[in-house]
Amino acid sequence: MSFSVKDKEKMEKVVKFPREFGTIRFWSFVLLVLLAIYLMTEFAMSKPVEGLTDPFYAPTILVLPLVAGFRATCYAYRKDYHRHLFKHPMACEVTSFRDAQKKMDISGEKRGRLYVGETNFFRLENLHRYFWYAAVAILPFFFFDIYVALSYNGTFTLGALLLIWNTFWAVIYTFSCHFFRHVTGGNVDCYSCPVNKKSARRPLFNAISKLNNNHETFAWMSLASFFLVDLFIRGVAVGLPINILLFRL
Amino acid sequence: MSENISVHVFRFDPETENEGKFVEYSVPYIEGMAVLDTVRYVEENIDPTLSIRWNCKAGKCGSCSTEINGKPSLMCKTKVDTLGKDITVAPMASFPLIKDLVTDISENWEIARKIPMFSPREGMEEPWKINPKDVERSKEFKRCIECFLCMDVCHVIREHYTPYFGPRYIVKAASWDMHPLDALDRSKFLNNEGGLGYCNITKCCTDVCPEHIKITDNAIIQEKERNVDRQYDPIAMLIKGRRKKEKVVR
Repeated sequence: MSFSVKDKEKMEKVVKFPREFGTIRFWSFVLLVLLAIYLMTEFAMSKPVEGLTDPFYAPTILVLPLVAGFRATCYAYRKDYHRHLFKHPMACEVTSFRDAQKKMDISGEKRGRLYVGETNFFRLENLHRYFWYAAVAILPFFFFDIYVALSYNGTFTLGALLLIWNTFWAVIYTFSCHFFRHVTGGNVDCYSCPVNKKSARRPLFNAISKLNNNHETFAWMSLASFFLVDLFIRGVAVGLPINILLFRL
Repeated sequence: MSENISVHVFRFDPETENEGKFVEYSVPYIEGMAVLDTVRYVEENIDPTLSIRWNCKAGKCGSCSTEINGKPSLMCKTKVDTLGKDITVAPMASFPLIKDLVTDISENWEIARKIPMFSPREGMEEPWKINPKDVERSKEFKRCIECFLCMDVCHVIREHYTPYFGPRYIVKAASWDMHPLDALDRSKFLNNEGGLGYCNITKCCTDVCPEHIKITDNAIIQEKERNVDRQYDPIAMLIKGRRKKEKVVR
């Protein structure tokens, strides 16, 4: 039925990481990624435009591992892929008591699926802060892009607006990160010790905490805006008339 | 209004039965009634052998924790009109069953004893003084009523053998860790002994908490980040190692 603390200790190191990947959801996700890569190469643009024709030869692809690592180790995405790819758990709804009883039979070794959580292979998720440093280093390039978009023809186009939109979400996502919250004040127990010492860290921590409440929303908004803006740029590069002129500067 | 609702209550007496079953009872609906009222109606008017645990009926004692329609909730805080006419009430499956809806939560006290207690910093002038704003973070966790709904919904405790202490005890450790006058850092201890790494941030504990404590964001992730400072991040280890302000519990 249930198990004591001693049993939990005994079972501490029985799990190994490859079993974690044994869900059909995870492999269908991998399949979709491979399919997307295949489609990108198969339907590459026929009209050559410098640096943009083949996504695999554009130098920006080199940044991808850093950005992907940042998102893969992010607390917001961790929740999502642990739930939806590995089904640990699929949702918060609990099974009925009798089903749970069968699963938790202590007499036999037959248990639910093996589970490592964020230990073992997934310990890599603890490197989130290093990816965060890389993400912050990449952020100035977003602003450079906006500068180029505005100063290129002296016009304010739909493309420039989209770049500003994209940069907004990227910045707000990066700075609402749990790690940033931790360094701004999360690691401090007492902001005004000795009593009533003035500290700027408490208001900063409170502000980041407010942002951090919506970290998941920012994560998905910025990911969606990345995809849309990249598509838009590729569309412009092949000569589609989508870069509408809004006004002249 | 003389409408009746059907309540399916889990009945199991380990002394006389081998397996439990859900028994359906018909209970008259009164406007504004909570699930606890329906179960008490069954106990008082239909079957007095039904065992339930309840106390304050105000969502403050944390006694009436059960799984209502597949969601761990307090019976006294769950209104019938939010559920419809079919209600299923089952005991918390993470803990050993005593009878009917009553579970044995004593293994939690064993875990509680393992966590290093509050230990004040040395050389403080008495009486101790704190700025009220500094204790706000610690106070959030003191709101916990120990209903153990978070422990019940946590899939790590429910489905797997791990040394994980559970959300309630990460919150307890965090309430001392984030106290302005506490001298210990328990994050390394929580990772090594308390299986902090087994939590995969799926936030179900935060969803069910009747006191609306942000368990994952404010306690578990904070402890994880502190542990990264101690165990995984060489730069932070270097900086923190030089300061040596807090005593690290291994």
